[in-house]
Amino acid sequence: MADKTIKDVEFGEELPVFVPDTSLKRASVFASLVGWEGPRFSDHEKAREEGLPGAMVPGILNQGYLTAMIHQWAPNSTLISIDTIFRAPVMADEEHTMKAIVTDIDEEAQIVELDLTLANEKNETRVLGTARIKIAS
Amino acid sequence: METDIEELRAKYLKKDFDVKEFPIIAEKTIRFAELCGETADRFLDPNHKDFQASPTFVGSLAGSRLLPSDFPRFGIGMDAGKGIECFSPVIPGSVLTGKTHLHDIYAKTGRSGRMIFIITRIEFYNSERHLANSDSRIVIAEKQNGR
Repeated sequence: MADKTIKDVEFGEELPVFVPDTSLKRASVFASLVGWEGPRFSDHEKAREEGLPGAMVPGILNQGYLTAMIHQWAPNSTLISIDTIFRAPVMADEEHTMKAIVTDIDEEAQIVELDLTLANEKNETRVLGTARIKIAS
Repeated sequence: METDIEELRAKYLKKDFDVKEFPIIAEKTIRFAELCGETADRFLDPNHKDFQASPTFVGSLAGSRLLPSDFPRFGIGMDAGKGIECFSPVIPGSVLTGKTHLHDIYAKTGRSGRMIFIITRIEFYNSERHLANSDSRIVIAEKQNGR
């Protein structure tokens, strides 16, 4: 994607759908990197023994994917804030998709607001959120 | 707002209960960015003029504790969300100071009882300025009738 200016952005515009890597391997490697070793992010069977439905993708990895999706759409944008609500677990080894839509544009302040969702194959929203980004004129 | 929640807010909000230093290591911020799917050189190339940690990296930095040591136990907390505010880039090679406080406490009551929401905020500073905030939202289903 090429760099954008604020004038390139349209209200209601949908960002290209992003398919995150929700594999158990990726979840496990990421959890290790941030010091969250444990079966809930690395082993389905042991996670079930802990009363979980299976191993999950760490919430901050999902937040990182949402930010990467924004950067792929607008490489020159600067994230001002992102707020994500973890409505339900994102299960590892299940396919998910991420979507975002432009919900507000402040041309003077050069700020764009986005609504974000991450859903599973049943189209159940697992994570939702909002982001504010700055894009130069 | 319920009296007990008001009392908690008066006692705990906006009061630092943890201070911790975080060395920001380039190899770790680069790997974090790669695993998140970032492709921009400013997050991946240490020789880039604007080399920096990807913006949600601070969300991976945990304080020594999530709640004040004397905070009452209502039940088991669940991770309900994360928020990040970015004011200036976090530069690898620097050391951040993270100061933790409770930013908000509120309750919602539904058919299954009362849910208590607690937002713990870590404010990150370098030697010059306030760089970022990382919020962790915990939800606790209050125990009913002693169960």
